[in-house]
Amino acid sequence: MTSGQEPAGDVRLGRVGKGLRILVAVAGIGLLVNGSVRATDDAWPFGPMSQYAMSVPDDASITYTRISAQTDAGTTVDVPLNIEGAGVARAEIEARTGEIVKDPSLLQQVADGWAEKHPDEPKYVKLALIRDTTQLVNGRVAGPPTPEVLATWEVRR
Amino acid sequence: MSSVDAPARRSPVSRVAGWFTPHIALARVAWLRTVLYLFVILDMHAFVRDTRLKGEHSGLYQPLLLARILDLPRPSVAITTTLYVVLIVTCLVGATNYFPRITGWIVAPAFTWWVLIGMSDGKVDHDHLALVIALWVLPTVKSGRRGPAAYGDQTRSEAAGWAVRCVQICVIATYFLSAVAKLRSAGWALTWPGSAVLTWAIVRRPHPVGEWLLHHPGLLHGMQWVGIVAEFLSPVILWLKGRWQLLGALFFLGFHAANTAILLIHFLPTVVCWLAFAPLERLVPWLRRRRTRKASDGDAGEAEDQAEEGRQAKEQAGA
Repeated sequence: MTSGQEPAGDVRLGRVGKGLRILVAVAGIGLLVNGSVRATDDAWPFGPMSQYAMSVPDDASITYTRISAQTDAGTTVDVPLNIEGAGVARAEIEARTGEIVKDPSLLQQVADGWAEKHPDEPKYVKLALIRDTTQLVNGRVAGPPTPEVLATWEVRR
Repeated sequence: MSSVDAPARRSPVSRVAGWFTPHIALARVAWLRTVLYLFVILDMHAFVRDTRLKGEHSGLYQPLLLARILDLPRPSVAITTTLYVVLIVTCLVGATNYFPRITGWIVAPAFTWWVLIGMSDGKVDHDHLALVIALWVLPTVKSGRRGPAAYGDQTRSEAAGWAVRCVQICVIATYFLSAVAKLRSAGWALTWPGSAVLTWAIVRRPHPVGEWLLHHPGLLHGMQWVGIVAEFLSPVILWLKGRWQLLGALFFLGFHAANTAILLIHFLPTVVCWLAFAPLERLVPWLRRRRTRKASDGDAGEAEDQAEEGRQAKEQAGA
């Protein structure tokens, strides 16, 4: 132990193997830094770690997108936006809101997903993409949210 | 000091090289294989679980850069079902530490593709970096013993050290770079910790704990400061040793527990990779010692074992 030598059992890397590994590690770190400084989520897995990274001002309007459905049972329900519910996550809907507003037929997929996963439950006949807006005043919630209908879609059977 | 003078005499280049390739027992890699390959199976059902669904409805498919560079085909039922079956089989086999490299080289690209499809709908999660990189580095390690014997393999290897180091770097990068992202999104200014970001997050994902916190914006700001300072300091953990490193790891596990309570975000794919910091190679000797202690009341062998463990702890802790 006093000689400073490696214990006999250690498996060492050759020069090439070691050099290559260090090169890969350094390149990987470079890609990560580049991603964080300049890239977008598109560069996954080397994109920026931007979840919850934005600074929300104290007077922000907080929006929350949901889909409301009229069913063939005559009820109005909020579509459960997850894999078990309609097979699509809320974040996906929020990310694609602009496209859905332009082309509401994209909502058909939500009705299909629901019908497929819940064959025994009432079917959706009409869907509405709704944006709820909650106003902040001095960093505090000022009151209940205001809903706004962004798109509607009559479900095709 | 002459006993530890070897690193001090080395050139800066070889010291940096040595940092990237510490000598770590193959047993740690064996444990990581088992845990991470089984975790992949859990992940496919609990976290990135909509990949097969995206094979059925690819309407919202928006391929990410990597998928475009590799010109990966649009997901279909055939592709996602094949990926699913291949991943389940190879993960189960790989987790046993038999055929670890062949299975590893299949799991890595297959799971990367799986996650690429799962995240190709406009939303990307940031909790998979360490896990995905871990899957790519694990098969680079040539293992000695196969099967259950691998968990006790104390042969230390630089290749194992590199793989473990890569996972550790990615775990820490997840935190440090998220602090960087917070600066960047504000135009490279430190406005995030004083902003209403947690209020925003809670309003969008309401639940009892969060709604109570909404009445205490000061507390939320305090948490934001603790969070961003910890994220900036996280790289220190790579150089901490022993108990201090454990403390750092426990802090971040607590950080995730708090995030789970407040934001309902668990980050488990990153959390599981913290195991790369743990001296897992000491599990089997520890179990063996317990067994011998039970069998025969303390003989010389035990003392030897303890000395051996102490030595390994010194050399591998923090590595």
